[in-house]
Amino acid sequence: MSINQLILRSLKKNLKNYYLYVFALMFTVALYFAFVTLQYDPAMDETKGSIKGAAAIRTASVLLVAIVSIFLLYANNIFIKRRSKEIGLFQLVGMTKGKILQILTIENLILYFSSTLIGIFIGFSVSKLITMILFKLTKVDGIASLHFSSEAFIQTLIVFSVIYLFITLMNWFFIKKQSILSLFRVKSSTEEKVKKVSIFQMLYGIAGILLIILGYYVSSKLFGGDFVTINELFLAMVFILAAVIIGTYLFYKGSVRFIFYLIRKKKDGYLNIHQVLSLSSIMFRMKSNALLLTIITTVSALAVGLLSLSYISYYSAEENAQYTVGGDFAFTNMEDAQTFKLKLTENKIDFTERKFEVIQVEANLENIIVSNLDENLLTNDLTSMPVPVISDQSLDHIDLSKGDILFTGYNDMLNMFFSFKDSGNLELIGKQHTIPLAFQGLQKEQYLSYYFTAGGSPSAIVDDTVFQTLREDKDPSIQGEYSLHIGINLVDESKAEEAAEIFRSTFTDDTYHLSRIERSNEQKHLYGLIMFIVGFLGLTFLITSGCILYFKQMDESEEEKPNYTILRKLGFTEEDLAKGIQAKQIFNFGIPLTIGLLHGYFAVQSGWFLFGTEVWTPMIIVMVLYTALYSIFGILSVFYYKKVIKEAL
Amino acid sequence: MNILEAVKIHKSYGNKFNKQEVLMGIDLNIRKGEFVSIMGASGSGKTTLLNVLSSIDKVSDGTIYIEGKEMTSMKERQLAEFRKNYLGFIFQDYNLLDTLTVKENILLPLSITKTPKRAAEEKFKTVAIDLGIYELKDKYPNEISGGQKQRTSAARAFIHEPSIIFADEPTGALDSKSASDLLNKLSDLNQKRNATILMVTHDPVAASYCSRVIFIKDGRIYTQLNKGEQSRQGLFQDIMKTQGVLGGVQNEH
Repeated sequence: MSINQLILRSLKKNLKNYYLYVFALMFTVALYFAFVTLQYDPAMDETKGSIKGAAAIRTASVLLVAIVSIFLLYANNIFIKRRSKEIGLFQLVGMTKGKILQILTIENLILYFSSTLIGIFIGFSVSKLITMILFKLTKVDGIASLHFSSEAFIQTLIVFSVIYLFITLMNWFFIKKQSILSLFRVKSSTEEKVKKVSIFQMLYGIAGILLIILGYYVSSKLFGGDFVTINELFLAMVFILAAVIIGTYLFYKGSVRFIFYLIRKKKDGYLNIHQVLSLSSIMFRMKSNALLLTIITTVSALAVGLLSLSYISYYSAEENAQYTVGGDFAFTNMEDAQTFKLKLTENKIDFTERKFEVIQVEANLENIIVSNLDENLLTNDLTSMPVPVISDQSLDHIDLSKGDILFTGYNDMLNMFFSFKDSGNLELIGKQHTIPLAFQGLQKEQYLSYYFTAGGSPSAIVDDTVFQTLREDKDPSIQGEYSLHIGINLVDESKAEEAAEIFRSTFTDDTYHLSRIERSNEQKHLYGLIMFIVGFLGLTFLITSGCILYFKQMDESEEEKPNYTILRKLGFTEEDLAKGIQAKQIFNFGIPLTIGLLHGYFAVQSGWFLFGTEVWTPMIIVMVLYTALYSIFGILSVFYYKKVIKEAL
Repeated sequence: MNILEAVKIHKSYGNKFNKQEVLMGIDLNIRKGEFVSIMGASGSGKTTLLNVLSSIDKVSDGTIYIEGKEMTSMKERQLAEFRKNYLGFIFQDYNLLDTLTVKENILLPLSITKTPKRAAEEKFKTVAIDLGIYELKDKYPNEISGGQKQRTSAARAFIHEPSIIFADEPTGALDSKSASDLLNKLSDLNQKRNATILMVTHDPVAASYCSRVIFIKDGRIYTQLNKGEQSRQGLFQDIMKTQGVLGGVQNEH
């Protein structure tokens, strides 16, 4: 048999065994190519928006290369170890190491570059779809066209050729290092001896769980007011990261074994088949993979956390616009409002109008607000908070009696810092007089824009007579730049885009007139881009890490094959074993996934309110998606196990 | 009463153009409580015979009954069911699961048949004490010696009181002290529990512990020896003589 035949034969065999590797390779190439195409697409200039956007995309493509090359090198490492016997055999029959390397290199070359080319083709065909997704996310009206970017093609080829060189180099080192004997032994030397759980490991295990819980606990307190200065906050964050990451490592190193040990101890030797296959095997294997699993878990958590946060921002864009802009369009002077109204009428767009005079008044809110923050963190004194006040005259549906005051403009973020009581008394402090009023509650709708409300705090409504008194008595030093608010609301929301277009063409950016839809789009534009990039990286990471876990399981199933032979000889059926394997894979994939999601959950919980107003829906969507994609690899590995079990007898 | 009855079993490998016949019509009867060994040179088909009798491999022709049930026509699923209720195994390389403790390994067959925990505990205790491995119950296989491993394997074969126990070269990987220990224990259990054991071996010493020795050669039964009233030493001498006649390459005239 000639060398060429040898190469072809083993190529054929490998393709069957490593279809997932080939698939992952094609997929990562496709992702990378599509991403780089995006980078070079002239239609993208608007999406990138600014230099920052372009920099973000470039950074992301570097990160993408990092993830992909680590994955490919790691996967290659697994595969070359699997083939060590074959390499040993070649050496035994007198082939030189150089020749063996040549065989491997040519084989890899064919496999690698054909998948790369197919990957580029796939990437090319989906690049339009990806561009469309990005346009959709960032609310940019670009036209996605399918065009082949030669720059992207060259860049992709260069990047993957460099990775290929590294792989070849790695193979060379591997072959060089080995002697014939050690090649035959390589598999068994990585296996861990099965021993009893020592006291030391139990301590490890307990320490791991405690560290994780401690990290979670501190994270829940992070913005609760216990950490006052930036320094303390920073230290607390570092502490959380360290505690959780080290805790995760110890968890895999000891806790899993410790917990499983306790369960087994309770069974007192009487294990059923599912427990035999799941508990006892995982107990000894998770430890040797501790580092890998820790990395996978941490990056998963990072991906889930960032994705959730950017999705929260994105998701909250509209709501955010609701409480930062008072009305679909907001104006601060009569003339501009008039111009806009005329244009709306010209275009046959119906609208309603609300006009407020706004004054800033200091208020003593001590009796109606409970602060969730530490005293030190409060910049304002609760007894003299500046509050924008408007009259109930301009609101048809609200009519207050003389002694009442109503607050409007409630949102979740505010709730993190302050809780309002249901009722109570407060005082409005004018220059000369102080007016006591009865608090009537807090409503959700916001009537004023952010430059009146200090970014989004509630505003107050009082009876017109009270308002007139306050106006006479106002303190000029705390009044803002504007005192007039004209809110224009469209009757038909479907005309919003049209109206926004008119708004855009009429006013320049430097006026203080606002459009809700514009503001929401601006935010969506920014967070859409971030979400897209994080999602892209997250997906790549998910697929590569899923593949690595799958490859590990492939190895493991083959190592455990003799066990399946024994069990089948003892009279367990294939189905019995398959069920046990399912249980095992639920643990194998489920434990890192659950821990990753938990980490992500606590990370999101500790600071989501800085990003948006709605946490549950975006977070759950992200987590469910992540779990679903991840499970695919678990299911694939079960199929592989079934094949091994079938062959075992 | 016959526990195992094999009628004219044939086994061949390969396709019809290149056929390798390994078993050529073997008839075999084993009664309850017998301790039988099958001897023969390498390649004589003794391991194939054991695999076929123990349902791990399928016969090409012929029928096998165990406790009157015909086994040769059963489906894979029924065979698994059959193995877990009626058969026990001891292998040359122990075949213990190295992630389970000695006790967990021994209790495996009971967990398939869903024996209540209390009864399982009882059975475990008896058999483990009989085989002298009770103290090792919480150790893992790689913490104990080969002899102890093989006794664990034996305990696993005995615990669910199968109709017949198949042992494939049980002493093959043991030193002579451990081997004689194990064989003594096996023949004790054979007496005490009235257990039926079919053992494949090429070691005459091991075979001499049995009550009957069957010699096969080139896929056929060549002869058999009964221990009868004679001592183990006497049987050993007979085995040696038979092997002498049987063994090696014969001078064809």
